[in-house]
Amino acid sequence: MMVGAFYNPHLGAELAAARNIDHLAMADPPAAGDRHWPAIKQRYTLLLHDYLGQLSEPLDDRALERARSLAALYDSPWVAEHFQCLHTEDGTYNLNYVFPPLYTEEFLARFVTNANALKARLDQPLVMENIPGFFDVRASQMPEPVWLRRFFDATGTGFLLDLPHVWLEAHYRGLTPQAWLAEFPLEHVVEVHVAGVEQDRDLEGPWIAPTAPSDAMLDFMTHALARCPAAKAVTFDAFSPSLTADVLFSSVDRIRAAL
Amino acid sequence: MNDRALQDEVIRALADAPYRASAEWRERGLADAGRVERFARFLARHFYHERIVHFFKYSRALARVTARWPEAVLRQPGFDALLATAVLGERATAHAVARLVTAYVAGEEVPYHEDLLRYQEAMMVVEAGPRVWRDTRRDDDRPAVAPPQPPPELVEGTELLELEYDLPTVLPKLLQPWTTPPEAPRRETRLIVARSRHGRVAVARASDAIASVVRFADGARTVDDLAREAGLRPGEIAATLRDLTEIGAVRFSTGS
Repeated sequence: MMVGAFYNPHLGAELAAARNIDHLAMADPPAAGDRHWPAIKQRYTLLLHDYLGQLSEPLDDRALERARSLAALYDSPWVAEHFQCLHTEDGTYNLNYVFPPLYTEEFLARFVTNANALKARLDQPLVMENIPGFFDVRASQMPEPVWLRRFFDATGTGFLLDLPHVWLEAHYRGLTPQAWLAEFPLEHVVEVHVAGVEQDRDLEGPWIAPTAPSDAMLDFMTHALARCPAAKAVTFDAFSPSLTADVLFSSVDRIRAAL
Repeated sequence: MNDRALQDEVIRALADAPYRASAEWRERGLADAGRVERFARFLARHFYHERIVHFFKYSRALARVTARWPEAVLRQPGFDALLATAVLGERATAHAVARLVTAYVAGEEVPYHEDLLRYQEAMMVVEAGPRVWRDTRRDDDRPAVAPPQPPPELVEGTELLELEYDLPTVLPKLLQPWTTPPEAPRRETRLIVARSRHGRVAVARASDAIASVVRFADGARTVDDLAREAGLRPGEIAATLRDLTEIGAVRFSTGS
């Protein structure tokens, strides 16, 4: 099992010298002036985890070419995207934050078609990450786990299971994380994300934060991994200028120790 | 209404506070109003945190001596008051947030501070507005015979900045390690800030030719009219329009 983190350019020097990390997920392309990038590229397995586009619409040629060239630059073993629909079709409104689609037949058909089109243009397998909902939209026609299972069955893509996302949804639904997780199609999981959560003033409850995972989150991780027979990697999912080297390295160490 | 349009309604409700408060949205009963409001506020703070950190990065660098971090405004009452009218990505909201930041970080620690704040505010405001997320135009949609070139017009939001200091010389130095803030030459400097259809903000030094074209490109004057009024030769007007089109400052009403 590979254990890794996200590439945080402000921690480039520390990451270039680190020895306890197997891979780095890339949320942004390397900046032109990033002097640590050559060492990072040489040292690590890199996972493409950028914004490629929202699969409620087909990706255009420009986006597809960008995805291909980034995957080639990183020599990424798989390419990740999210189950998200965060801007309006006409481009007027944009949330600039991951936001899930309605779980309906129409959106399922859109995502299946567009993911298959993206998959066909990539030289690497595609994996898709679950996105948490803070509220239910009454127009949804099926539970998220059912929608995801049908998506994975129809596309053969891999599942990037974000555990804090499942944990948060369970919290806001008044369920145990383990009970909610049991609904998800875990046999498709290729990669698992682990992160910390903190109280958010606006949400009046917990949300993902660039902080260390709690012991309870690590227990949840081991519980989940025991049910994900095809999982190949665990990634500490924190990408923020406020993330410290200490939190990043100690979190990776704790994840490794918990496995 | 299909599901995609319904999703757009939810996205709009999260992004657009006045719409979220409207009877039109509330009567739909699509989601718990309290949760939508809480999530919308969370999104607004995240949305402008990203933009403030990015566009006010030079003020962040100066915070070593000012101790005023631009993103601190997101936790101040002024920003909370703005949330009731904020529309994420809208130019008026970007302007209002940028004004909160400039009012908070303004100071006299460096002589070019006022120019710097105007520059950063312009970058943030120009970035706002609807954008093209995906190109649907195909090459074979273009006519085989090029039609006559329509009159060029200035893209809404494009801004000309007249500065007292030569900021472009000091900006990269501000982001490097320093013990005393780097100096900027006091020299009148004119910059143009524009945004591409895809939302990419570009800034360039503006020559007299660029300033003239920006002044006269109203979508009614032809290229020949522009050349005459700006006093440019055919080669100069073509090159200027090409540069301006490239950074997204000028478009041709039926093309580019």
